[in-house]
Amino acid sequence: MEILLSALVSGLLLGLVLALVALGLTIIFGVMDIVNFAHGEFLMVGMYTGLLTAQGLGIDPLLTLPVAGAVGFLLGIVCYFGFIKFLLRGPMVAQLLGTFGLMLFLRNLALLIFGSEDRALHHGLLVGKSFDIGMGVIVSATKLAAAGLSVAAFVAVWLFMNRTRIGKALTATALNRSAARYMGIPTERMNALAWGAGGASVTIAGALIVNFWSVNPFIGLLFTMIAFAIVALGGFGSVPGAFFAGLVVGLIMEIPGFWDFFMFTFNADWMAKVPMTSFKYMWVYLAYFVIMVVRPRGLFGWKH
Amino acid sequence: MKSAIRLGMVVVSVLAVIGLMAPVGALAAEAVKIGVIYPLTGGAAAEGRELRAGAELAAEIINAVYKNISMDMAKSQGIKSLGSAKIELVFKDHEGNPTLGADLAKKLILDDKVVGIMGCYHSAVTKTVSAVCEQYGVPMINDSSTSPDLTKRGFKWFWRTTPHDTTFTTDLFNFLKGLTEGKAKGVKAVPKAQIQNLASACEKTEWGSNVSALIESFAKEYGFTVKKSILYAAKSTDLSSEVGSLKAVKPDVMLFASYASDAILMLKTLKAQKAQPKVLWGQDAGFEAPEFKDTLRDDIVGVLTRTVFLPKVASVKKVAGEVDGFYQKKVGHSLSGASARAFTGVQAWAAVLEKAGSTKPADIQKAANAIKIPADQLIVPWQGIQFATSGEDIGQNILGSGMIGQYQKDKDGKISLEIAYPFDLATANLIFPFPGY
Repeated sequence: MEILLSALVSGLLLGLVLALVALGLTIIFGVMDIVNFAHGEFLMVGMYTGLLTAQGLGIDPLLTLPVAGAVGFLLGIVCYFGFIKFLLRGPMVAQLLGTFGLMLFLRNLALLIFGSEDRALHHGLLVGKSFDIGMGVIVSATKLAAAGLSVAAFVAVWLFMNRTRIGKALTATALNRSAARYMGIPTERMNALAWGAGGASVTIAGALIVNFWSVNPFIGLLFTMIAFAIVALGGFGSVPGAFFAGLVVGLIMEIPGFWDFFMFTFNADWMAKVPMTSFKYMWVYLAYFVIMVVRPRGLFGWKH
Repeated sequence: MKSAIRLGMVVVSVLAVIGLMAPVGALAAEAVKIGVIYPLTGGAAAEGRELRAGAELAAEIINAVYKNISMDMAKSQGIKSLGSAKIELVFKDHEGNPTLGADLAKKLILDDKVVGIMGCYHSAVTKTVSAVCEQYGVPMINDSSTSPDLTKRGFKWFWRTTPHDTTFTTDLFNFLKGLTEGKAKGVKAVPKAQIQNLASACEKTEWGSNVSALIESFAKEYGFTVKKSILYAAKSTDLSSEVGSLKAVKPDVMLFASYASDAILMLKTLKAQKAQPKVLWGQDAGFEAPEFKDTLRDDIVGVLTRTVFLPKVASVKKVAGEVDGFYQKKVGHSLSGASARAFTGVQAWAAVLEKAGSTKPADIQKAANAIKIPADQLIVPWQGIQFATSGEDIGQNILGSGMIGQYQKDKDGKISLEIAYPFDLATANLIFPFPGY
């Protein structure tokens, strides 16, 4: 039983963290219909920002979150005005290849500056701490904090999009750009805002997860792929969709844990021989594939 | 007239350039080039740096006279039988990628015209690189890859100085058996039931999956039960489901084969999930990388790792102490299993070339098959170097042996590896059971 509970809790926590990573991607996609291939690299920037600020200033890594947020916001805005704005005039392929190029640029820039080694935080309020919450379930403090922040970020973004004037303007831009412009909404600024907000949310996520994962210049790709799976599963552009899909993906990644549970419950020795952990990412991409074939707009996506 | 002057100037400058190049060219023709392919970037970059530093140090000692190092190769300049030719190492970075490794090997052979190849640390890369060498008939000495299969292919151009994982895994099970017989220093005989259940997690390329299979087969032979064996991707960002799966079977002994970044992540996750094994053992590689110790610090006290070199060897073996002192002066820390083996690989290359007295592949092949380097020349605690020329393990050094070390904290709070196995060489009381988190 404790195996099932452990797997469930750790899957949900991981899911919340991954949902936070995917949030920025879904904001940018929802407003601009642009798929940002460099999303994972934004996360990497956030991780390096958190790590270097904490080490450079000797402060707790948690205090670096606002710094990372500011860096991400600026990065998003600069990318938009310096680069994406021009891509919008081109065909869809230009936009895809453009963000792909941005991904390569950021990755190699990081390689040039930081080198290829893994770097990790060794000190901090949350680093390496964990508690036993009973029933044999052990929760790592950093993951719990990241999960909490994830919930807060989703609520904040949802409220912002649905309850504020600017948020409604963003949603309007997302639904129909030309109509929004006729209504007097400065869509250019809305686009920049989406890039800023998307960038900030993902760099904050990065600064938080560097508390438990190490960072290197290549880390982005894995997260980009998982974020894509989440956003596709939840529906491109849907904020609640990303949230629930994140939880689903987290649970999918814990399939080896559930497998163990069934193995012990049924005392099935053959199940121990199946190398479940070797394939844990396969299930995520399988789900991505199935949802793309069966329901291309995802669970919560808008019909265009 | 003007054009005649111009022509004259061109001729003079061309001659000058040729004149400048001539002595360099003459030197270059003399130097013996060995292509060295290591993971200098990527997840194993830290080990790559160690390997490179070890290899460079050996070349330095070969190429000049060092009176305070009592090795034959330190007594003369370069390779005597080749007219004191110096050894030049041409380093290439394979990033842990087998395909890239094979391409680099071709490049070294065809463009750089190397006499031979050394490397590549990752067994998966050594496999493809040695296939290229076999195809081109270029000798390769492998210093640091331990997958047993590498010497089971009957290759004619491949020799391996390091012992392989069958040796190391035998050591592990002899260690566990010795533990139950009360042979470990400072620990009373442990009832076998207390360490009966094993669980392993190995990275899933050539090396790790072989280690995993070896553990299974040796466990059967020695009467232990493997409750769970996991293969995982070394590039994972999260290992919590893997650790959860290991913990679920409540193993007494946890065994790992990991490269550097995943070894650190694994230990961090074990700590976060409060794993409680009695023995925690790693198959070298990541468990011995300098950053493993620097990152995890107190969390690794009691962790065991197999190795071929511990700084403690320097205190019992004279030549190891001399070279280690030199290495420390250059690099700032002691030799590790990786750097000691790279050093020994270059040393083997020098000895083979010395014996061959030629850089023709056929002569090198003959020399490699006949060579015997005595133990007193080596910094590693082996009986020597001599390659098998028949049987199942063609090209394998038959005189190698392994050790098991344990991380312990001394009075000054410094964490270092103590020899735990072979039991008769033990330098400290074994910490048993593993203190846990």
